[in-house]
Amino acid sequence: MLVISWWLHLKMLAVSAFEGVFQVIWPLFFATTAFLVYRQADDPQVMVYAGLGAAVMGIWSVIATTASGVLQRERWLGTLELLVASPTRFALILVPITTAMATLGLYSLGSTLLWGWLLFDISVPVADPFLFVVSVVASILSIALIGFLLSVSVVRYRTAWALGNLLEYPGWLLCGFLVPLTLFPTWAAWISYVLPPTWGMEAIRLSASGDSPWAQVLVCLGLGIVYGAVGALLSETVLRSARRHATLSLT
Amino acid sequence: MSGDITTSLRIFFVGGLISFRALFNWLSPWIYIPSLLIAPIFQILLFAYIGRSAGIESDAFFVIGNAVQYSAIPCLFAMANTIAGERSTQTLGIVLSTPARRIPLFLGRSLPVVVNGFFVSMFSLVVGSLLLGVTIPRSAWLPLALVVAVAAMSCTGLGLTNAALGLRVRETAVLSNVLFGVLLIFCGVNVSLDALPDWMAAVGSWLPLTHAIEAARELAAGDTLGSVAGLIGREVGLGMLYGGVGLAALRWLEIEGRRSATLEVQ
Amino acid sequence: MSVIEARDLRRSYRTRTGLWKREKKVVEAVRGVSFAVEQGELFGLLGPNAAGKTTTIKMLITLLLPTSGSASVLGHDVVDDAREVRRHIGYVFGGDRGLYERLNALDNLRYFAELYGVPAREQKQRIGALLELVGLTGREKERTEGFSRGMRQRLHIARGLLHDPEVLFLDEPTIGIDPVGARELRATIGTLKGQGKTILLTTHYMFEADELCDRIAVIRAGELVAEGTPATLKQRVTGGHVMEVETFGMPESAVAAVRSLAGVSTAAVEERGQAQVLLVQVGPGAEVTSAVLGCLGGVNVGRVSSREPTLEDAYVELVSGQ
Repeated sequence: MLVISWWLHLKMLAVSAFEGVFQVIWPLFFATTAFLVYRQADDPQVMVYAGLGAAVMGIWSVIATTASGVLQRERWLGTLELLVASPTRFALILVPITTAMATLGLYSLGSTLLWGWLLFDISVPVADPFLFVVSVVASILSIALIGFLLSVSVVRYRTAWALGNLLEYPGWLLCGFLVPLTLFPTWAAWISYVLPPTWGMEAIRLSASGDSPWAQVLVCLGLGIVYGAVGALLSETVLRSARRHATLSLT
Repeated sequence: MSGDITTSLRIFFVGGLISFRALFNWLSPWIYIPSLLIAPIFQILLFAYIGRSAGIESDAFFVIGNAVQYSAIPCLFAMANTIAGERSTQTLGIVLSTPARRIPLFLGRSLPVVVNGFFVSMFSLVVGSLLLGVTIPRSAWLPLALVVAVAAMSCTGLGLTNAALGLRVRETAVLSNVLFGVLLIFCGVNVSLDALPDWMAAVGSWLPLTHAIEAARELAAGDTLGSVAGLIGREVGLGMLYGGVGLAALRWLEIEGRRSATLEVQ
Repeated sequence: MSVIEARDLRRSYRTRTGLWKREKKVVEAVRGVSFAVEQGELFGLLGPNAAGKTTTIKMLITLLLPTSGSASVLGHDVVDDAREVRRHIGYVFGGDRGLYERLNALDNLRYFAELYGVPAREQKQRIGALLELVGLTGREKERTEGFSRGMRQRLHIARGLLHDPEVLFLDEPTIGIDPVGARELRATIGTLKGQGKTILLTTHYMFEADELCDRIAVIRAGELVAEGTPATLKQRVTGGHVMEVETFGMPESAVAAVRSLAGVSTAAVEERGQAQVLLVQVGPGAEVTSAVLGCLGGVNVGRVSSREPTLEDAYVELVSGQ
């Protein structure tokens, strides 16, 4: 069930040209800007750092901007009530949707790497391809679980998309995609450490440079599962309250 | 005749404000605060930290660049919403069947957009400076406000062109976002024009915001208003150019719409 | 001089089908329509969906240019003198769109009052009077997104009257409104006529046209097929009578067979719940009951009745293409 609905949603997302193309292009604007800034530092190592970070940014963006919007869209289509009315647990319905979106982020990852390589001559050496893939998959899963929590928490707000968009920048900033955590004040770094993508990003960097990422992968997945569990608990409460307050079909 | 002028003036001021409230659907605090007050601050922080990490430019550079450029979000989106939004409310036909003069009708909608863009930029400028500890000389704030207003105006000019396009293509949000991205890269927001490849700098000099950002940085560095007058002049010129193109396009779309029934005039 | 004059109005649309294989098709929506509406008259344009009613109205209110032919309102040409036409007309269409949902009723009206150049000092009094007329007094501070269809429609009417236009164009104003609301709306239209407004109304509700209109033009496939007072239109089918046969599960072939019977002028089918009612217009003096029932052999038949023709029958005869 999970796999099939993941696949169907991936297809739906991929069909919608607007979302697909735009999701890939949007982070590229920021990646390009970051490259242009870092380029001035004149250090090839820094460019690799930026290239990898910018590539993972896209996965985060897709989730932040669309996970909050996904329930909105189901609302517009009038399918949200149908989903809730189906006998499957709501959590099991949502997780595949957000995973499909995070997978879409893979496009973005690929295209950003390609973009950096073609236009800025950044070639990212991947020392251990297997561990690299493991790290990427762990990042995607954990980001998808955050997305799940996010979409559950905002299901009752009509303007959820704006809250979702709001999370895009802080995520980029705090997850260490483009800026080393050491630059932040300590309190901000603590926030970074409870965000799974921070660990995923670190795992990706480690595996690319040939070090063992296993510890980071585990923390990343562990944190992801915590977010997922909170989301699952919340989904029950939120749905009950939505039924009480009749906010499901609000468009 | 004077009655006609009064009518046009009222359409410009009163009508513009009413339609701004009617069609700019971001005025709910749930959208306004995250999208227009918090997001720009994070954009400033993101690039300021990237700059710190790369050891490039100063915090002031990024605060000014991004604060001025972020007015593009309200200016582009609000302008597109207040004109192309007539499609979704299906009011375009009714509006076009009125005898109202079209220039005050459409231009009037841009006035609240400019004011709003100005407010968003100034807010980000002040809060961004406070957060990053950037000090801007007290005497520079007034001329800075003027430059920010000019930037919001010229960007709204581009917004008018965008809005006219938006009447034809469906995805106005994508269009606005793409324009925002182009402005982010080409206008010297985070990378000064000298550090951009030549062709990019050349494109930048024909876009709105570029000259305003440059002028704002010079003012914050202690220059006088007089010494940036040339930059301000070019910014105003570009704003009028884009605004003029937008109005002409709207005019053309209306004529074309009557001829070939292409505007969904319900 | 007539208030509204249409002279051989034509309008064709070019449509493209397919994204890759560009096939251009020209659809003729209005094919040579002429009519005149006199001062103070309520003129009905009656026809099925896609007959060209809305296209005709849009040409008259200056939103579409005619492909050929010409039209004028109060002597102003709708092409050359569009702005002058717009000053003097009000336009109201049916359905629940066309409002600024985020604004309250008052602001919706205020906006259009500005666009029509209603002087500021008159606005308040005018808007108040119109809210009173359409029965929305007390609701004007509510956002229109919460309005029912009937309320929206009444607000539309108020909007169309803001500048006290001499000529009103009402495009299917009662569409989708419940019977009580529609009746109130018709009463409002009657009041407006009483005030001496010239009104052009399109509808596909027969009784509405019958009740309201001084004269009716029936439009079918872009052409006027009949014009006259409701009484004269009814006369076209008097002399005969109408036979109604309630059936269940009637095939199309049976209708065709009935149509070809001698003495039958037209036959049409109307869905009524589970049943299909066969409406047969019978020429004067003809007796076709047994022949009609003969054509329906094998079909489950319910009640059979006969009655005097109504305007609706005249309409059905006109638009079902003799």
